[in-house]
Amino acid sequence: MKELEKVKRISIATTLFILAILIGVLTFERPKNIYANNTKNTLENLISKDYLISLNEIDNPQVELIDVRSEYEYDKGHLVNALNISSAGILNEENQSILNEFKESNKTIVLYGKDPQEANIPFMMLYQLGFDNIKLLAAEINYLQNKLVTNQSNIEKPAGDIKAFINESQKNSKVTITEQKVEPAPKKVITVQKKKKKPVEGGC
Amino acid sequence: MDKKKIARVTSFRYQILAMIFIVLAGGLVLLPKYQKHEGIKSEVLLSNAISPERYISTDQIANKIINQEPSFILIDVRDKESFKKYSLPNAINIPLAKLLNEESLPYLNQSQFDVVFFSNDNFYADQAWVLCRRLGFKNLRVLNGGLNKWFTTIINPEMPNEDMPKEAFALYSTRKASSMYFGVEYPDQVMTEDLNVNKPAPKQVITVQKKKKKPVEGGC
Repeated sequence: MKELEKVKRISIATTLFILAILIGVLTFERPKNIYANNTKNTLENLISKDYLISLNEIDNPQVELIDVRSEYEYDKGHLVNALNISSAGILNEENQSILNEFKESNKTIVLYGKDPQEANIPFMMLYQLGFDNIKLLAAEINYLQNKLVTNQSNIEKPAGDIKAFINESQKNSKVTITEQKVEPAPKKVITVQKKKKKPVEGGC
Repeated sequence: MDKKKIARVTSFRYQILAMIFIVLAGGLVLLPKYQKHEGIKSEVLLSNAISPERYISTDQIANKIINQEPSFILIDVRDKESFKKYSLPNAINIPLAKLLNEESLPYLNQSQFDVVFFSNDNFYADQAWVLCRRLGFKNLRVLNGGLNKWFTTIINPEMPNEDMPKEAFALYSTRKASSMYFGVEYPDQVMTEDLNVNKPAPKQVITVQKKKKKPVEGGC
């Protein structure tokens, strides 16, 4: 009788155990958008790999252009055959499946924005998520009389030599110093008259 | 004798089984984290990256430097040569390639200071920001426009046109003043400097203690 009760207890325990595992498996949600590259790899690739692409290289059937600007700007004007996926929506399920399709068909995904800086963030994100076939278009988009114009953009090119500018300005101002040299005013000598100590007066 | 021993052990069999399960469960905790998943979630990273809050303007940073605020550190992510040539005052040079090295981490992974990344524009600085933010570092900022904007706004500010609002002139004069702080000299500035030179040294106030007239002593 005692043995039977034990068996009962065990069977209850096992069913509960199996149930717990089943519930766990069923409710487990696979995390989306998992990184495929860790930061060290990404950094190494950023430095060693040539991820920039210039304007004359994009006219290629293997290239898929992605416009990362907002929908409004995309409607205003965009490059030919470009697809609009704004930076904020780059991790959406829908867009991810589009990008994965491109990846599977071995196409080069080329991101562009109003300047390379704008496309930089989505580029970094997608690269870390494992899209190795991704490139960044080194171009700026401007409007000239409502017509879209693309210019080659120089990333990280110094706009000017700041040190030289500062030195130049100091030199220039020194030149003017010599011209405007004003004789220093003679120092005024103020002599403080010392009071002579008077002998204590009075006394007998 | 042996049978007795076995019987004693088997009477504990459920406890033993339970112990095995508990030990196995404990082992799960110790499993190494999957390397590639390091850092914060990609969704969080993206939403942080596209928010403009992470930028700091050149005017703000100039103001902070001039006021000698101790709350931030500047990180120059360009290469060594450019850093030597010109950099912001008190900046620390961590080239992008060495960003994740052991010796750079103490600067980046701390909560005491705001970390401000900058490069020539904000392209490399943004990349440094994304990598560091992914690792969960806090208080990271990027100098908007980088040194190029620093040059065009602070070092060499553009004179506003006459028809521009008053604010533009106020901004110009503050920028000009800060550029003087960073070493730029203007021809018209010299005038004022000369005036300063010609000014007599501030009068030294010498307090001569007046002797109190003592009532004439003595007398009969």
